[in-house]
Amino acid sequence: MSAVIEIEGLRKTFHSLRNGRRVAVDGFDLLVEAGQIHGFLGPNGSGKTTTLRALLGLVRADSGRMSVLGEPSPQLLPRVAGRIGAIVESPQFFGNFTGYRTLRLLARAGGVPIARVDEVLDTVGLRDRGDERVKGYSLGMKQRLAVASALLKDPQLLILDEPANGLDPAGIREMRDLMRSLAAAGVTVLVSSHILGEIQLICDHVTIISRGRRVATGRVDEVLAGYDRHEFLVRVAEPERAVELLHEAELTASVDGEALVVGGVTDPTVISRVLGEQGLWVGELTPLRPDLESVFLELTGAGGHPSVPRQVDDSGPLPGAGDAEIDLDVRGVDA
Amino acid sequence: MNLVRAEVERLSARRFVQLMVVLLVLAFGVTAATTLAGSHKPSAEELSSARSQAAEARQSMENTFQQCLARQNGALPPTDSEQYFPSDCSEIDPTLRDRLPIAADFLPGVFSFAQQARPLLYFLIAFLVLFGFLVGASYIGADLNSGGVVNLLLWRPRRMTVLGAKLGTLLGAVLGLAVVASVVYLATFWVIGQTAGLGGPLGGDFWRSLGAVHGRGLVLVLLASALGFAIATLGRHTSAALGAVAAYAVVWELGARLVLEIVDARRPDQLMLSSYIGAWLSGEARFYDSRLCTGTETGMYCEGFYSLTWAPSLVVLLVLTGALTAAAFAVFRRRDLI
Repeated sequence: MSAVIEIEGLRKTFHSLRNGRRVAVDGFDLLVEAGQIHGFLGPNGSGKTTTLRALLGLVRADSGRMSVLGEPSPQLLPRVAGRIGAIVESPQFFGNFTGYRTLRLLARAGGVPIARVDEVLDTVGLRDRGDERVKGYSLGMKQRLAVASALLKDPQLLILDEPANGLDPAGIREMRDLMRSLAAAGVTVLVSSHILGEIQLICDHVTIISRGRRVATGRVDEVLAGYDRHEFLVRVAEPERAVELLHEAELTASVDGEALVVGGVTDPTVISRVLGEQGLWVGELTPLRPDLESVFLELTGAGGHPSVPRQVDDSGPLPGAGDAEIDLDVRGVDA
Repeated sequence: MNLVRAEVERLSARRFVQLMVVLLVLAFGVTAATTLAGSHKPSAEELSSARSQAAEARQSMENTFQQCLARQNGALPPTDSEQYFPSDCSEIDPTLRDRLPIAADFLPGVFSFAQQARPLLYFLIAFLVLFGFLVGASYIGADLNSGGVVNLLLWRPRRMTVLGAKLGTLLGAVLGLAVVASVVYLATFWVIGQTAGLGGPLGGDFWRSLGAVHGRGLVLVLLASALGFAIATLGRHTSAALGAVAAYAVVWELGARLVLEIVDARRPDQLMLSSYIGAWLSGEARFYDSRLCTGTETGMYCEGFYSLTWAPSLVVLLVLTGALTAAAFAVFRRRDLI
């Protein structure tokens, strides 16, 4: 597959008189291939938006190499800008304009046929509200309008920064369906979000950033598999005795409330067999698979302690995480 | 071209622009209505009386001048010896006056277009300068602040083109509005003068002079617009332009002028932008310099004024606006848009 977005060694430092020097992105790498729905995750202040802004020529990178749709960015970005639809954070629209007029102006500025405006308003569910002024829109409606503006160009690459901001559950589901249908139509989607469940549902690939550095990348299932400890939740009548029996069988096991957590198991029938042979019948045997949230919190160190408020800059790779970066992306894995 | 069309639509849809246009129309309407209400077509008797009063006034000036010359020559009759005359009679020479009394000066309640056109035009230009500066600053300032520019750059990632299109659109729109407004404005008062007042002497010299003021006024409006745009671009906000102008006016035009006068600096007016604006608009501005008369023999007339003319004033205004605009483009080219 061809690379649609390539970022290598991106570095960006912000300087201010008040706050001094702050490294926002520190040698970050990203690879998004054609046809992917690629999730871009990171805690607040980790450098996601700065990366997207640098990619789109809105901030100047200190160093690193970037290319979009095969063209170096930002140098030759204008060549491919007509094929990129993007929203970065929540774009502000002119409140005095209607949704239709807002899109018509963008279409005119970008040389897109005006007829396309009605199409995208329909796509994002604003067909009947396009004649209303933007200042009367809810946050979710503004977000839909932003997505509509990104879709106007009928893009090959869609970059969406927090597209679910302000959307109600139905809107989030519509957004998910929209991204899937776009991907099915051959559009490559790069989506950053904090809603990890959503990312897990819609994305086939994911890159996680923390403190400006990539801490994991690859197919979603492979990233999750990398954190699978092969643990199972087991319910039996005598948990304490069950632990002893499992230890004797050289399995790790501990009591967790009224159940057991058994680890280091590749074949769960072993658990049933060990306990069943001693007359302990298993009532429940559930694999404990890592989800994206637990992996994200572990990788970014953003979990913290419930009793200690976490500060924005507290997130970051765990000690040595730079060395332990998970990179499960294998070119051509889908081919 | 598409970008410019889109920008024209955005500019014309701005509430602030619409408000300023309404204010312009309102000010124009109130001025025209009060002028119309306060003026009447002079009768033949009023005209005749005014003409004779003007002739008398001119004759009186001539007589005084002749008496002054006579006193200089020692031929003044004793009855006139107590009258005040300047030491240099050229000060009251009627032929050296900017203007001599005319009939319109003696027609109270009669609007004279020839007499009032220039001050009316100055008022309009002052409004348009304010309009251009505020609209120029808010047009880019609001867009930078709200993320509108970022939105546009996602579509057209050419910063210089986008900023240039915005500035070009602004200048074109302001010039178009200024030309239309000033032509309609002057035409309205010309009609008032013809129908409910006095036209006055409207020869070639009058129209040439008025045209020159009009042309210079339009240039000033464009410079003010570009200046507002440039400062707001540099400061990323509309208020940056307003603050810069307020700070300049208070710190330099008022504060520094005071300090310069206290330390008796030579020709402080030469350091003030307002002097060049005045000189550019009126063609020439005169300022007092006490040192010009240092060494003049007692009894000899010394005027003590120096002039700023339109040409160097234009250079100063162009250099200032050009430098700030160039700086705005240079900064915008490299700036992080966050």
